[in-house]
Amino acid sequence: MTRTHTFAFALALSIGLATARPASAQEDQANNDGKVYASVLHTSAGETLKDVMVTFADGKITAIAPGSALPDGYAEGLVLTAGLIDLSARVTRSENAVEQTNEVESRLSVANSLDLFDRTWDRLARSGVTTVLATPPDRNVVGGLSAVLKTQGSKDMAQRQLNARNFLRGAMGDAPSSGNRPAWGSPNSIYNRRPTTRMGVEWEWRRAFFDAAAAPEYPELEFPGADVFRAVLAGNITLYVQAFTVIDIRTAVFLKEEMKREGFGDIQMWIDGGSEAWKDAQLLKRSNTGVVLSPFPSAGYSPERSFQAWRVAKDLDEMGIPFTLSAHGRTEPGRTLADQAGRAMRGGLSFEKALAAVTSAPAAVLGLEDRLGTVEVGKDADFVLWSGQPFELTSRIIGVWVDGRQVQ
Amino acid sequence: MKLLSHSWTLAACVGALAWTGPLMAQQKQAIKAGTVITMTGEPIENGVILMDGTRITAVGKADEVEIPWDAEVTEAPNMVAMPGFVEAHSTDGTDRTNETIDVAPFFDVQDSINPVDFFFENCLRYGVTTVNIQQGNNTVVAAMGAVVKPFGHTVDLQMVYPQSGIKMSISPKSGKSRATQAATLRQAFHDLRAHLEELVEEKKVGNDRARREALAQGRDYEGEDAKGRAMTGKGWIVEGLETVPRVEIDEKMAPLLKVVEGKMRVFMYCGSPAEVHTAIEIAKENGFLETMTFVLGSGCHKAADAIAAAKVPVILSSNLVHIETDPLTEEETRTFEAQVFQDKGVTFALTSNNSGLESLWYQAALAVGQGLSREDALAAVTTVPAQLLGLSDRVGALKPGADANVVLYDGDPLSMRSQVQHVFIDGQQVYDRANDPRLKHLLEGEQPKGTQADPDGAREESAEDEGSEDEDESKKDD
Repeated sequence: MTRTHTFAFALALSIGLATARPASAQEDQANNDGKVYASVLHTSAGETLKDVMVTFADGKITAIAPGSALPDGYAEGLVLTAGLIDLSARVTRSENAVEQTNEVESRLSVANSLDLFDRTWDRLARSGVTTVLATPPDRNVVGGLSAVLKTQGSKDMAQRQLNARNFLRGAMGDAPSSGNRPAWGSPNSIYNRRPTTRMGVEWEWRRAFFDAAAAPEYPELEFPGADVFRAVLAGNITLYVQAFTVIDIRTAVFLKEEMKREGFGDIQMWIDGGSEAWKDAQLLKRSNTGVVLSPFPSAGYSPERSFQAWRVAKDLDEMGIPFTLSAHGRTEPGRTLADQAGRAMRGGLSFEKALAAVTSAPAAVLGLEDRLGTVEVGKDADFVLWSGQPFELTSRIIGVWVDGRQVQ
Repeated sequence: MKLLSHSWTLAACVGALAWTGPLMAQQKQAIKAGTVITMTGEPIENGVILMDGTRITAVGKADEVEIPWDAEVTEAPNMVAMPGFVEAHSTDGTDRTNETIDVAPFFDVQDSINPVDFFFENCLRYGVTTVNIQQGNNTVVAAMGAVVKPFGHTVDLQMVYPQSGIKMSISPKSGKSRATQAATLRQAFHDLRAHLEELVEEKKVGNDRARREALAQGRDYEGEDAKGRAMTGKGWIVEGLETVPRVEIDEKMAPLLKVVEGKMRVFMYCGSPAEVHTAIEIAKENGFLETMTFVLGSGCHKAADAIAAAKVPVILSSNLVHIETDPLTEEETRTFEAQVFQDKGVTFALTSNNSGLESLWYQAALAVGQGLSREDALAAVTTVPAQLLGLSDRVGALKPGADANVVLYDGDPLSMRSQVQHVFIDGQQVYDRANDPRLKHLLEGEQPKGTQADPDGAREESAEDEGSEDEDESKKDD
């Protein structure tokens, strides 16, 4: 009852907003040329430059001039980095954003359920995040396809979305089955469904893959969205699996290896969460699986009672396993993506590696390394300007630019 | 002969001290640190802290302080020494923080402190050496709190200062409205007054009931309380109280009399700016305005003017930035509350956000990130809380005469990359990072032999992940 009300209210609000802002078209034409000065520039491309002036025009970086004199009125000691990228920004929070009548919904794209009028986007932008990978949440087993978008820009989804690699996102473990119950013994509701166990969740995954792989030969196995699974098997879509505990990570990796053994295809897989990746990093290495790390919890416990040791980022780095950091959309002071980089450093990761894990590494995962993730001529003018050493709690973000436009 | 007897005395002393075991560090000690942040002035490069037994005897530059020949010296040339942080108000470390009785000033939080709680271990890990433990906010008049150090296997050994103040709340406890909350709080003082007047009246007519009751309950007619004393206080006074021996006052009310007489601090929880005025009014009526400290919920900066005018110091919500969303435009207003209080000249202390990483150092660092100066942020977790607890002479700063509480960091205490390496409390080394299996667990992952996972941590984090997605739902602490 309450949920319905909230939803209706939110809907009313967003409709109200959409009509109340006819000026958005004008905003889009606002000037996106300009200059940024900083005492230090960490390019994320292996360079640290002093006293830099970065010039940009039409949302792209046009020149980087080290050794430039700081104009009057500019504070000393400011540090510039590329805009941060979060591959697990969890911008789709409400249950309305995932289809709950079917466990496997590979046809659906999250692009159709994102609310671009939500204040989350401004919060994310102010916390330094300029690009996110949006995915459906985890209330069913396979939620659907992803969308990559900047945190600021057009309110029109078609314009806002970046032409990036596609991800099919689903979950192992507790989340898709928690709350489900068998159909007997309780009032009839949407939660009377399967799976109700970890095994059941895994079975849904395997059935989808086997059916999709076998359907060309046995048409009766075809199901809506099977083509997406075939694209995953062909390596054209990345499989993005939420798994926190080591058993769920193993289940995901074994699924991938099984598909390869069966000759169905070589899946490109990334783990969303990976808190306990440190317990079996060798497995991830062996299967060439990347990890989008869950936020570092202060007492060690991550979702689903997994234990995220602080060394996990350092471990993955030392073993050469691709990884990025994530804040799961948190934007309050101390919990932002920048703070996750700080926490990874407390666990032993170097500054350069921590910076890469929130800029260039995620850009590469999205297949957008030509546009995002570093401060280089020709790249998008996405920057974060810091009052001091980035990722320290004592520094604050004093400016964020997305496509050359400063976030207010 | 004389010399001999002297050395005998000395030997006897040493023997006696050895007998008291490892709890008392009676030696002279010196810590030589790369940087010493004293909190009494500028940080000292290459500083020395001299300690004799449980007290600091001198702090200064290495070339200005002479280290006695018999002092044990700790060399820490690459470390930063700080006084331990002081937690102005915490409900952690106790078993069940809330009492169902509305008015319960006769309880003592000492009886619910669990000395082996993970909280105390975490205090050391994050450099907190003094904690004021108070009952939860879901109360009207709660128990007397206690200031403890996070070390020692019994509450007695932990104790710094018992009965450090009474916790009250002006925000409605569950089941009450704002109006009944205020009425119940006022009624507690009315009841006290009526009781005292009755005692005076009974003495006048020669009724000995109170004396017989006190004797029947086995109260001791000893010391100051065996006699009557005229009542003092800035709110109201019951004339003739000198005729009533203090011991005959109902034990359930006696602590409140201390409040009215200004001899017991009050920590007043105030969850909303709407309640600030009522709290100040009740404090004025009953004479404890000057001994009151506000424990504020998020958003109370809106009443900063009233708080400043009443000159009441505040302990801020751990939620440093208050976020408010306009219901129509969805525009967000973010207020860094410490800044507002500082601008209005209100004394403020910061508190921890949880008993783990987000301890006082973290809150101070965030406050610097939000624009507070380093000095002010550090003061808000050291000298200011010490002052609020009336313990400025003992904790919060490294100075001669203060408790020998020293924390050594391997870098800037406010940096995410620094860790507490050593903690000294009362001159005794009580924490060494090299021997901290649970920190090793947190960082490295392997559960150390003979230890359990931190059940509080598991609970806290999962609760965090469930509920905190939307920031503007202000959480009500309990």
